[in-house]
Amino acid sequence: MDCAKNGIVSMSPAQLRGELKRLIVTELNLKGRDPSSIEDDEPLFGTGLGLDSLDALQLAMSIEEQLHVRIPEGDEARAIFQSVSTIADYVARVQAG
Amino acid sequence: MRLWVTGLGLVTPLGIGVEATWGRLVRGDRAIRPITLFDVGGQRVGVAGEVDGVEVSAPGWSRTSSMAATAAEEAMRAAGIDVARARVGLVVGGTTGGMFETEQLLGRLHAEPECREVLVAMLSHPLTSTGDRLDERLGPFARVRTLSSACSSGANALVVAAGWLLAGDLDAVVAGGSDGLCRLTLSGFNALGALDPEPCRPFDRRRRGTSLGEGAGFLVLERAESARARGVVPIAELAGWALGSEAHHITNPAPDGVVVASLIQRAVARAGLSPRDIDYVNAHGTGTPLNEPMEASALARALGAELARIPVSSSKAQLGHSLGAAGAIEAAITALVVSRRTLVPTAGLDEPDPALGLLHVPHVGRPVSRVRAALSNAFGFGGMDTVLVFADPDRETEPQRTPTAAPLVVTGAAVFGTGGLLGTEECGALVDRPSDPDAPVDPDVHLDAMRARRLDRAARLGAVAVERALADSGGTDATTGLILGSAFGNVDGSAAYMHRIFDKGARSASPAEFPNLVPSSPVGHVSIYLGLRGSAFATEDLATSGESAFMQALQLVATGEASRVVAGAVEPKSDIVDRVLAALFAPAAPQEGLARSDVAAAIVVETETEARRRGARVMARVRQALEWRGGGARRTELSSPREGRAEVILARADVGAEAVLAGTPWGACPRLVCAQAIGESDGLGAVAIAVAVGRIASGRTDQALVLGLARGGGYAFVLGRE
Repeated sequence: MDCAKNGIVSMSPAQLRGELKRLIVTELNLKGRDPSSIEDDEPLFGTGLGLDSLDALQLAMSIEEQLHVRIPEGDEARAIFQSVSTIADYVARVQAG
Repeated sequence: MRLWVTGLGLVTPLGIGVEATWGRLVRGDRAIRPITLFDVGGQRVGVAGEVDGVEVSAPGWSRTSSMAATAAEEAMRAAGIDVARARVGLVVGGTTGGMFETEQLLGRLHAEPECREVLVAMLSHPLTSTGDRLDERLGPFARVRTLSSACSSGANALVVAAGWLLAGDLDAVVAGGSDGLCRLTLSGFNALGALDPEPCRPFDRRRRGTSLGEGAGFLVLERAESARARGVVPIAELAGWALGSEAHHITNPAPDGVVVASLIQRAVARAGLSPRDIDYVNAHGTGTPLNEPMEASALARALGAELARIPVSSSKAQLGHSLGAAGAIEAAITALVVSRRTLVPTAGLDEPDPALGLLHVPHVGRPVSRVRAALSNAFGFGGMDTVLVFADPDRETEPQRTPTAAPLVVTGAAVFGTGGLLGTEECGALVDRPSDPDAPVDPDVHLDAMRARRLDRAARLGAVAVERALADSGGTDATTGLILGSAFGNVDGSAAYMHRIFDKGARSASPAEFPNLVPSSPVGHVSIYLGLRGSAFATEDLATSGESAFMQALQLVATGEASRVVAGAVEPKSDIVDRVLAALFAPAAPQEGLARSDVAAAIVVETETEARRRGARVMARVRQALEWRGGGARRTELSSPREGRAEVILARADVGAEAVLAGTPWGACPRLVCAQAIGESDGLGAVAIAVAVGRIASGRTDQALVLGLARGGGYAFVLGRE
């Protein structure tokens, strides 16, 4: 991972997933929800956590700001935002690349 | 009773003036191009419809106010109305006010947080400033209202004007909307991914979002009889209208279009027409992926098989989306389509989306043999939707008008602030025991955390007060409307949002935060949280915003626009407003002024018939409601108290009150001042009304006068047990 480029300290996959869960709870104001209670593969949108397109935009903005990874727009974003695991995979892939 | 459009004024990216805009509109010219007004560096999309040649003539004027003055003056001149001879009202819709100018100040404030020069200028351009500037230049107007319902503001200005004319107490109303481009809206729509990188392509299968625009549109409305008496030739008839809330989502439309369909049906029926009479639709047509399927489905649901022969177009492909002005600009265009029997096109529509199933007017406009009636749609953030119907003034069918004689009553009230959450009768005791100005005001203990997660502090305070007032009034039903007043809107939120952009660039604009900066956002959030689908918008009148909301709610109910409306004010404590006031008053001795505190208040208004039908308890009756502008308080019109105990309830100790009350029977009545008990706030007018209702409901008095004064105008409400 090119830490200099990303300006962040390297995170393990588990740490990254934890960080994403923390971002989901704080950025989307899911009060009372314990980040660790979000399952790695739990669907985020529609069913599961029940988030919607406005949440996706907010999450994409904060991932770009905090993790320095730009989430593409449109259909590609939908695939990435399926679950914490899919986001973590994408972030790790971009950071590694 | 028919209402005629007798004058139009337009300032649009296609040109200044009705003829300049119309000629290019019919030709299919497009005005969407790279923005030159400010630096768009770092923004995803930097094209918009910009107006050339706006002259900001004097200090204290904003681009928004300048465009409004040009358009309103053109409309008044065309109608030939004279404010010295007739009682003329003014209604202004908008969302940004002087945000473009305020952003420049915010940039400086960001660098120098304590700069007094910047602080004292910070609040120079509230939404109300446009109405004030127009009143100075083109008035004096007998009555002025500022309202906001995001992108339906301009259309709702016409609905308010229609209500005033039906009530009969004004001769003419100048109504419309004005909104200038600014960095805040550009970055916000970019953050929402709602902008097409190309000029927007409504109804096209390639559409990727809208394009922003700016401009102003004003219309002069009059009763047909009085216009005829003046020998005026009408442009069109404003035949029908309907407004309502989707109560669905703060930025996304409800995909089924059911609410919009019911508004179209109501507006057409109110006009005394049927879908067979509609010959054209000027669509909201933003060009976003979500709007068009919703709008097409609503049109199909409401107009049925007739839709197949009705041409539909969107002017946004040429003008961009001018937000609070769009509803008025497009209303003026629709009136012209009826008047000139010429359809305006959807420019650039190369590949119509077949899924929408609409009949289009691609590329250029064309003359047609007749346009008996036409629809103009406007949908706002928070799901605040409005449909207008314009008709040929020579048509034979009569519009349906609801009688206005039903007595109005209050069936619930609540105040939420440093004294806690007070229901109707408890509000009566609010003035008896001062609360601790530093007492915490925590809305979250009253709200469902998950459902309320998008609500900012203003919306949270509002939701708590509105929910409590409705509970006292016998509960929530879906047809309930909501009108909330606010003095300055979300100043702190706008500052924080812009500071993030100054610090981190335009891509850091928060999509979740942006919708909360729209002045009507608390109304949208509360209607969604509580499922209220009636008429909804925000009113602004600085320190008498609560009074303006209550007055507006009474007018909507009296004219049959709504059966039941919650009115009120929401004013969270604002760090910036506090600092501005401190800077403004700094040279004087330390103020003895009261600490400013968080306040929300709500009052439920309905007809007596509706209250009886629901079996609701009548807490107070509305005996009289007055509003005036331009000096001279109308003490001669103030009705005298009846037998029994009577009180005067004031928001704050106002020296002007003496001038209104002196020499009237109210002058000798006890006066109760709300500010001493609950702290200073711009929402105190709504508190005073809730207190009056509470004192009557709890038997503390038999009747009360609530008096709210501001800027040479004011409001007076006489409430009583009988």
